[in-house]
Amino acid sequence: MPTPNVAGFSTLRARAYLFRLPLFTRAVLAAIGLFWILGVQVWWDVRAWGALVPDKLGFATLYRLNTFPFIHLNVFHALMNALALTPLLERFESEYGTLTSLALFFGPLTTLPAFMYVAVEKWILRADTAVMGASMWVFVLLGMEAIRTYKANPYLVVGTHHIPTWTTPIALLLCVAALVPSSSFLGHLAGLLVGYICGLGYLKFLAPPERVLRWVEGKLNLLGRLPHYVSVDQKTYGRFGVLPSSGSPPPTSVALPLYPYPVPEHQAQPSRESFCEEHLGTAAGQDAKITSALQLRRDPRILKLPPYLSLLFVVVGAVWLFLLPLDQYSRRTYISENALLPGQVHTYFGGSDQNVFRAYKHEVNALAGKSNVEINNSLEPIVKGLGLKTARQNFTYHAAGRTYAGENLYAILQAPRGDATEAIVLVAAWENVKHELNRNGIPLALTLARYFKRWSLWSKDIILLLTPDSIAGPQAWVDAYHDAHDPSRVASLPLKSGLLQGAIAIDYAQEGRFESLHIVYDGVNGQLPNLDLINSVVSIARGQMGIDVALQEMWRHSDDYKDRLRTMLRGMLKQGLGLASGPHSSFIPYHVDAVTLRPFGEGWQDEMALGRVVEGSFRSLNNLLEHLHQSFFFYLLMHRERFVSIGTYLPSAMLVAANFTIMAIALWVKSGHSEGGGQATADSKTVTPANHAAERDLSLPLGVVTLCQVLSVIPLYLFNHVPESALTPLFITFALLNTLLPPVLSHLLATKTTFTLAQYDLVQCFSLLLLGMFLSSLATLNFSLALIIGLLAAPLSFVRPFSPSPTSGLKRIACAVLLNAVSPTAVLLAGALYWRLDVRSVLRDAAVAWHVTGTYSPVVVWCVWWPAWLAGQLIVLARPAPASASARRSNGAWAGDDGKVKGE
Amino acid sequence: MDGGKVTLGRTAGLYIGAAVLRLAIFTLLPGLPDLLTGRVEISTPVTSFKRLQEGLFLYNHNVSPYDGGVYHQAPLFLPLFSLLPSFATYPIFTYLLYIAVDLLNARALWRIANSGEAGSSALFTSPRREKRWSGFVIAAVFLFNPFTVATCIGRSTSVFTTCAILHAIAKAVSGAPLGAMVALSFASYLSMYPLLLLPPLLLLCYDRQRPERAVKSSLAFASIHVSIVAGVLALLFQMSYLITGSWEFLPSTYGVQLTLSDLTPNVGLWWYFFIEMFDSFRSFFLAVFWLHLSCYVGGLSVRIRRQPLVVLTLLLGIIAIFKPYPSISDTSLFLAMVPLYRHVFPLMRYSFVIAAVIMYATFLGPAFYHLWIYAGSGNANFFYAITLVWGLGQSLLVCDLMFAVLRDEWEVERPEMVGKEIRQI
Repeated sequence: MPTPNVAGFSTLRARAYLFRLPLFTRAVLAAIGLFWILGVQVWWDVRAWGALVPDKLGFATLYRLNTFPFIHLNVFHALMNALALTPLLERFESEYGTLTSLALFFGPLTTLPAFMYVAVEKWILRADTAVMGASMWVFVLLGMEAIRTYKANPYLVVGTHHIPTWTTPIALLLCVAALVPSSSFLGHLAGLLVGYICGLGYLKFLAPPERVLRWVEGKLNLLGRLPHYVSVDQKTYGRFGVLPSSGSPPPTSVALPLYPYPVPEHQAQPSRESFCEEHLGTAAGQDAKITSALQLRRDPRILKLPPYLSLLFVVVGAVWLFLLPLDQYSRRTYISENALLPGQVHTYFGGSDQNVFRAYKHEVNALAGKSNVEINNSLEPIVKGLGLKTARQNFTYHAAGRTYAGENLYAILQAPRGDATEAIVLVAAWENVKHELNRNGIPLALTLARYFKRWSLWSKDIILLLTPDSIAGPQAWVDAYHDAHDPSRVASLPLKSGLLQGAIAIDYAQEGRFESLHIVYDGVNGQLPNLDLINSVVSIARGQMGIDVALQEMWRHSDDYKDRLRTMLRGMLKQGLGLASGPHSSFIPYHVDAVTLRPFGEGWQDEMALGRVVEGSFRSLNNLLEHLHQSFFFYLLMHRERFVSIGTYLPSAMLVAANFTIMAIALWVKSGHSEGGGQATADSKTVTPANHAAERDLSLPLGVVTLCQVLSVIPLYLFNHVPESALTPLFITFALLNTLLPPVLSHLLATKTTFTLAQYDLVQCFSLLLLGMFLSSLATLNFSLALIIGLLAAPLSFVRPFSPSPTSGLKRIACAVLLNAVSPTAVLLAGALYWRLDVRSVLRDAAVAWHVTGTYSPVVVWCVWWPAWLAGQLIVLARPAPASASARRSNGAWAGDDGKVKGE
Repeated sequence: MDGGKVTLGRTAGLYIGAAVLRLAIFTLLPGLPDLLTGRVEISTPVTSFKRLQEGLFLYNHNVSPYDGGVYHQAPLFLPLFSLLPSFATYPIFTYLLYIAVDLLNARALWRIANSGEAGSSALFTSPRREKRWSGFVIAAVFLFNPFTVATCIGRSTSVFTTCAILHAIAKAVSGAPLGAMVALSFASYLSMYPLLLLPPLLLLCYDRQRPERAVKSSLAFASIHVSIVAGVLALLFQMSYLITGSWEFLPSTYGVQLTLSDLTPNVGLWWYFFIEMFDSFRSFFLAVFWLHLSCYVGGLSVRIRRQPLVVLTLLLGIIAIFKPYPSISDTSLFLAMVPLYRHVFPLMRYSFVIAAVIMYATFLGPAFYHLWIYAGSGNANFFYAITLVWGLGQSLLVCDLMFAVLRDEWEVERPEMVGKEIRQI
């Protein structure tokens, strides 16, 4: 008798098997699935309701004895148990009948092990572990099977040892207990024992008498009414043969063995033996014809599946995002790096420092409105007077027709206890990102520098960095610090310290006292600082200083679902845009964890309180023995103390990216099919069915996709290189051309070439393949950008050329217009209108970010999204030539060599 | 692409186009060559242009280039590059040299393609051979392959090895065994691993001898040509000895490849394995890895005896996956040879999967390397996982090509099975 193996696996047989599962087995599987779905929602905890909890077992809760097998911990648990249970239960049912199974499985076979378990757990072990899941049934059935096996085939011979076969479930039991986390050994053991007892026949008296069952069956005419019902009366229908099912007979076109389950050798009953041999014999005969997987591959239904699958992926990816703010999916933040010890030291900043601060503020106020060099000329003596080494650095950037130039001033406080191998940076920009004068921030930074100088406990150098603006200045300084600058635009640093371990920027432009602290943490290109740094600042500000903390401009946050979602979406949008959000942003790409602290609101906290927060954070950073690495680098914050990590949110973007790949594969298969089918019937000699897919004409589609990609360089270059004043006209021109280009290109394709449907399929296939590839790579670097682009480009998966019909022209135009609504230009315009921004300023910011901070979002928009959109638009407008015309032209050409190439 | 009329103009156009493309990249994007030179996917410790500069500097200052343990390339590169005007002042000469080497490679490929060896060798003629690409297409595919261009821009010295290997094969198919042996000796001298190609190359030479001066006895033929290789290699070693003044170059070049003493990451499968390895097992696994790499030679040469060029192609693919310091340059050589088998492409089953896997790996590799080295948010496992995928893509291609070629042979033996579906077991 053949043993099941991978090569012998037949999907057809598997499918037939699934279609022929008897009624009770189906019901059980459905119940398991249903309870799993019920468990997904959050309002009613199905698991707490139905699990077998020894302590909660009272008279009113006896239902738990029967519900627990249907309820599972999670989807994997449910899936694994269902997989294990299906063949066993199917066998049991087809042997004993549906009614008996129903009676036994809602009676003794469930309650007995459950009682045993509860008894041992409660009264002997004095514990209270809840159990759930169908695995207890699996072991009951395995126990019964094992006894039967033992009767037929008592020993397994391994070497010279005889191992009784009934012990095999015990081995499985031990394996499961050892390998599967949080599996209930006791529960499984109880199930197995009951299975043994039942298998030995001691529980026969529990089965309902056949007479009664037959009576019930006859009265209710169950066989006639219920599909897939297995009758008690096996004799009538053959005990192991055709299932006495009243359901529709299997489609005759699919020849299959009637007993698809691989029958083990221990089946002693002669009738069964002969039956199986007969049917497996036919199966072997069909094996040559049915090469199972291939058969399934050609099933036309499979080809219809991908669009739905890919729609499912997009929907699940989007819904996933909205589940994240729930308590079940997000986590509370915690400090991973124990060396940080945030808020564990006394902070002494205050007292007379207040007077120092006022003096500095007076100086700074006097400098307001002066030129950058004048300011530095005045500040440098002050910093020098503190005993710090100072230096200056010039930088000049050109972007969008403007020049961003300035001079950075910085000073190094050498660590009394360090060796100048590590440093922490305190940044204060003269202007914040909104171009407000950092009125209190600069004096506070100076006061802090003076205060820090007095302490002898620093083991890392402290660098005070005063920049003229919040973006170009810090960027130039960090680039030069790491020798990654272009010397023609950015001067090298005359003075350096050690490796930067962290940076904190102060942005305190508002006048007077403040209420709470806003932590800005987004880096360039969506990179984030280590979560430990944010957690430390939050813990110091809230725990030690009693200052509330806000994120992502959510000035009021009630920690409910809506606010969490809003915080998270704002964070994702910022991350996706990849712009610098403060002086700290430039540090993050160099793996220097940095945040900006910006006080806001009317309250009673004064500058000294902010100073103490900075002091506390610096003390924590000073404690670090190595670079922050313990905590997360990829996370989405949704509240100051709640986040989701990459493992939880990444599937969302990956699913969206995968939808493109699925469609690409489907289109590839389809493009081969449409021709292959036609040719194989027409001319079976030239076409080898072995490579069923017909040869595809790749050169033209590849050329079109390459053309789209190459064209994308033009907008990228133009939008980053024209002066600011020309940006709006350029945008309008480009948007118009963008609308006109696809019809023109499509017209050219339709008139100058004979593009067939298969070739259009290939165009779409390649374009989606590229899109999926880029997005899944991007998802590892900038999750939010990949997700946003993925969702915006999702319609491209589903566009299809319209088949010629009277109304197709109209439909085509409607679809093209709709697709224009999700074009990069339209989305850009819509975004600008929604946030009440000027298109010009948006484009200018993008160009500045491209030139200064190296933001790559423009590349993604123009060179990933736009070409895919263009290809999608070409597909919509496609007017494919009939296949026969081009088949004559390029008969089986693989890359347009027209089959004419001969040797030279 | 269509047809036999490849005029002089088109040929020149192809070469000029390729040269202009490379020159344009060199001159218009001045930062790119250095960026690519630093990429681990292009420059390995044994082919890096940066390390060559270091060796050259030491050599020009009369210090042994192998002092300092940075330079691991053949000594004869040094006089070659010192002959050129200094790279720091006149980089254009170096660029031109690399462009010229690429064009020579393309020319050799062209000759291999036009010989028709891929479709009909001395012992086997494929029924599908009519469907093939001309030398022009194959040269164009090679010259405009992004991997080839990147290798050229990155100025990896592996292009010289590629050149020697392609010329060895070109000589062999045109019936010049002596030239083939000399070229192979050069390749082996530069990178050592091409010595593995000697058996199939001997077979190819033997099959394609000119009838007027054929050596009938295979044993005599083999011994003559092996001794030629040995002789040329000995000569090259002697010259190297004269140049550097000691035999130090042997452990520093071939020794490094044999013992993998430099564990800089690359796209291959060795570095991670040997980083993780306990020292006591090192020598054992070195032996195992080398044995694994070389064990394919015998098997393939015997099994596909009738088509030695196939063996060479498959071996190039296998070497590109399993050699100690592979780079995309090795892959580009393999991908240059694959289009010769245009006639068996219809028999290949996973072409889309292979293309998708290789492309995914090409994009995810740099992304994960960035996460590991620059962003600091990933670790070495990220990059290693992608090199595994990269290896998987190439092995799929090797397997699929092998399947197609064997199926092609099999259908000649069993005409009744043409077009029938078969299963591999």
